[in-house]
This record gives sequence, structure tokens and C-alpha cells, in this order.
Amino acid sequence: MAIFTSEVEVLDPIGMHARPAGQIVKLVKESGLDVTFVIGEDQVKANSALRLMAAKVKTGEKFTVTIDGAADDATAAGIVAQIQEFLKG
Amino acid sequence: MASELKGLGVGLTAAVGTVYVVKPAQPLPAWGKSTIGAEAEMERLKVAIAAVSKTLDDLGARSDSTTAEIFEAMKMWLDDDGLMEIADEHLQAGSDAAGAVGEAFNAFAAMFEGDAAFEERIADLQDLSRRVQAALAGISMGLELPQAGQLILVGEDFSPADTAQFTPAVVGVVTRAGGPTSHTAIICRARSIAAVVSVADAGSLKDGDSVLVDPVGDRVLVGGSLVDSTKPLEFADTDGEPLIPVRSNIGTAADAKVAAATKANGVGLFRTELLYLSANSQPSVDEQAASYAEVLAAAPAGPIVVRTIDAGSDKPVPFLNMPHEENPSLGVRGFRLIVEHRQFIVDQLVSLEAARQQTGREVWVMAPMIATVAEAAEFAELARSVGKFKVGIMIETPAISMQVDSLAGVVDFVSIGTNDLSQYLFAADRMNPALGALLNPWQPGLIRMLAKIGADGAAAGVSVGVCGESASDPAFAVVLAGLGITSVSASPSQVNVVTNALASVTAEDAKAVAKAALSGTDAASAKSAALAALAAAR
Repeated sequence: MAIFTSEVEVLDPIGMHARPAGQIVKLVKESGLDVTFVIGEDQVKANSALRLMAAKVKTGEKFTVTIDGAADDATAAGIVAQIQEFLKG
Repeated sequence: MASELKGLGVGLTAAVGTVYVVKPAQPLPAWGKSTIGAEAEMERLKVAIAAVSKTLDDLGARSDSTTAEIFEAMKMWLDDDGLMEIADEHLQAGSDAAGAVGEAFNAFAAMFEGDAAFEERIADLQDLSRRVQAALAGISMGLELPQAGQLILVGEDFSPADTAQFTPAVVGVVTRAGGPTSHTAIICRARSIAAVVSVADAGSLKDGDSVLVDPVGDRVLVGGSLVDSTKPLEFADTDGEPLIPVRSNIGTAADAKVAAATKANGVGLFRTELLYLSANSQPSVDEQAASYAEVLAAAPAGPIVVRTIDAGSDKPVPFLNMPHEENPSLGVRGFRLIVEHRQFIVDQLVSLEAARQQTGREVWVMAPMIATVAEAAEFAELARSVGKFKVGIMIETPAISMQVDSLAGVVDFVSIGTNDLSQYLFAADRMNPALGALLNPWQPGLIRMLAKIGADGAAAGVSVGVCGESASDPAFAVVLAGLGITSVSASPSQVNVVTNALASVTAEDAKAVAKAALSGTDAASAKSAALAALAAAR
């Protein structure tokens, strides 16, 4: 299985703050997958809410989600869809 | 023989219980190098984190949903992979657990800096950092009080965070610091918890001592029982007229309704700040008038004394944009705002006039924080040009207290705010718990100043009311009447008892009680002399 890559956009009016960061990390940990966000030039592993918050992604900014270890593309796409949902605020 | 500790009683309820000494939070130990190795340090860290996590669960269960959500997020950060990675790096480099976790939290706090959206999160992280380090050192951060029993809490003073953790087992409170208007006193009065504050010898009480907290007697009696408690002076319920009108203090329409169900003769202090302190933009004149009309319509029969805005940089009105001040209580507050915000005060008076016309009520207006006769005259002229009010000022500064005679023909009335007058007279910050004893209304310095204001007001033909906390004490209200004060205003819960007290005495009695109070050379002797004279008169 290759690495799955997709782009998401932060729509939450306060950016990627504590609540969405927490929701994302909980989801990633439950999935058991290796999820990394490529934010600008930085790669941030999505297993730490504090690190996601420290990336200070603002409303309207986009970043790339990479998922390693998913059984198929549909599973990975499902995770990305949920992450996008959390970022709607 | 039981030993007695003197202090300042709060409320009328006495209680007996077992002393539970609350120690001040100990300082956290300094970070050091590990002597037990990284692996053992990580184990200690995990145990400490689990303990803090459990505390957060307990706090969350006792909080409203918004606060519980914050505790939930904080729990997640405790278990954060990124945090643990940084902590582990420090452990591998030889740090002890406290240093490693402290450095890890600091690292994230630094990353969050410079972003307004994360400011509160930085405070949350620092709180977590302290909690984990305290757990590592075996220091208690919270009160962790038992749920059952009859506890008398003994401590320096209690913060809002502390009182939120009081359990039903807390039946009494004794503090070494704090005064009659401290947070502890206000909470205990509201919850009918027996309390004595400003007890200089509170440190002599030991865990497990059985004590009587006797607020009416202003004392704590070690080994005492309820039969030893001082009985409050009881005043029979009566329909008789009080010696001087007893009005009510209010801040909202809801307060006005509560006051209307008492014997209150009108309102002696309507605090108008509540309408503005939470507003992000200035309410329009129509909106203000509608709010005022609602309060005026609900208020008890009689005149309604309205205080114009009493804000300052410590109680800022968001839309007035008040700059930071070194000493807010000595700064630009109350009527002093007229220099920068004249239109705001004019709008407030215009709104009040509209509400007055709409409701047909008798409205008096007064300005707070007046220091000179010129300021009083400026306010009086402004208020009279706007509406058909009786016009007055608050007396809170020693300066205007010395010039009441010069207010003849300038204002119709004055109202003494004894809380602030005490603060300025004694140069004792109301917010500083260590200075509580100076703010006791029975202090002879205050009583003598009240006597002067009463006498000068009578000579000048200016009526003199008292709307401070002191007027809610029935015995003190009798002293005030005897000093020539012409009306008092009490909190709604105290209006009936103050009315009954003032209906049970004659003018001669009140003068004798006031004379006794004036004979005291300190607060305790002034109070006991006044109470003895009051008991003799009845």
C-alpha cells in the first residue's frame, strides 16, 4: 500500500485550535495509522495535539495530509474526510 | 478553661466543628539532575501524570460544561506524545522528572507565544506543569476536603478557586487575614457558613481541635460548644415606622423585585454598572432607558437613588477603552470619567430622565468619586439641566467629607459609601486581605468621620444617607441614626432586620448608642460599648 496524500483546508474561524487538534489526535490514535501533516515546509506528526496547535494554522490555510499504513485508499480517504470535518469549526 | 481568639465575625450563624488547617501552597522544589536514571524517572512521571489526570476528572465532574471541556482538553495534553518526547529527551540528558516535564511544558508554552488565540492555553499549560511537578514532589495543590464531617477550615485567606472546592462538610471558616468585605466573607455570608476573619492568632489552631466559631461574638472559642455562642440581638418583627427610612441596595431588575418584597422604603443605591460592564458597545439611549424603566417599575415604593457609572480601570467598561493604571482605586474612576467621556454620562442621565417620565417614579441621581465642591457643582448643574431629579453625590473621599458644610445649596443630598470611605480614610486597599481589620466599620476613625458628616449635613440642610455594607448591620444602623444620618440603605436580605431594629428604638436611644460607640478607642471597644447601650435601651 502506497502512501495516501490529500489536501485539507482550515475553515474554523479560530484556526486549528485546541478542540479540532484534540479531535484529530484522538481519531489518528484510534486508527493506528501513521498520519503526518505537511504544513508549509514542516512535517508534523498528527499524534500530538500540542504540536498541531503549535503549528498555528490559521483560517483559510491549506495543508497536506499523508497517511501511511491504510488497508486501502477508501479507508485513508475516510480519515481525511473526518479531519476536514473537524477543521470546519 | 477554653481559650478565646478574637477576630471579625461574618454573619449570624455559629458552628462547632473540627479544625482542618489549610496550609499555604509550598513552593515547588528546584529542578535537578537525576540520581535514579531516566527509566525510573519516566515511571515516576507517569504516576504523577495519572494522579493529576484523576484530579482533573474530579474537578471536571464538579464544573459546568464549558469548564469541564477545558479540563478534558488539559487531560489530553498530559498524555500528549509530543510532550512526552520532549520530556524523554531531557530525561535521557540526565534531568530529573520535574525538570524534564517542566522543560517540555515550557517548550510548548514558548511555541504558543505571540498568538492571542493561545494566551489562555499558555496559562493552562503552566497550570498543568505546576500540578505535575507538585504531584512529583508530593505537594498538595488543591484543598481535597473530605465530603463528610463538621470541618472548621483554618487558613490565611481563601481565593475563589478555594471556595469553589468547599464541600458540604465545611461548616465554619477562620482566616488570619481578610476583612468584612473579603471574598471569603462574602461567600460565607451567602452560604450561611459560620466565619470569623482577621483572627491574628489563627495560627495557634491545630488540626483536630474542637472549636466554636462564634461570629456574633467576633471570636473563636477552642473547646467551646454551641451553648457558649453569643446570641445576636433580636429585634421583634414590627409594623412600626423605623427611626429613619431604610432603603435597599440593588443592581438589577431581579434585585429590584426581591427588594420590593421587603419593608424597603425605596432604593438607596441602584448600581448602574451591570448594564455596561458586559457590553462590548455602548447601548443606545433607547436601550438604556428601557433597561432603567424596567428596574424603576419593579423597585419598592419610595424614592430611587441612582448612582451614575462607577467604573475604573479595575472594573473597566469595555467600550470606554480605559488605559491601564498603576493604582486603579486612586485613578480615573466614577465621576472623573467625565473629562474623557462626558457624552457617556450625559446619555446615562438622559436615559434615566426618559425612564423617570415613563414610570412616574421619584428618581434621585448621584455621582461617585467626588473629591471637591466644584465637582459636585458640575454634576449637579449637569443633572438638573437634563431632568427633574433630586441631585446628590457619594461621599467616599476624606476630602469631600471635610467640606460637607460647603455643599449647602449645591446638592440636595449626599450618600456615604462606607466601604470606599474606609479604604481611602485608612489608606487600606479593599483588595488586600492583610488589611481587613482596618476596614472594620466599628473603627473609631470612621465613626467619628461619620459623626462629622451627619452634623455638617444637618447644619447645611443636606440630607445624609449611608449605603455602604455597614448599614446592613442592624446595630450599626442604630449608631448611624444616632449620629444624625437621615436614611440607610441595606442589602435586600438585611432590609427587614435593619427596619425592625430602627423601629425598636427612640431617637434618644439611638443618640445614647451612638455616644457609646464614640467612646471606644478601638473597633472592639466601640462595638461592645454600643451593643451594651443598645441592650440597655430595650
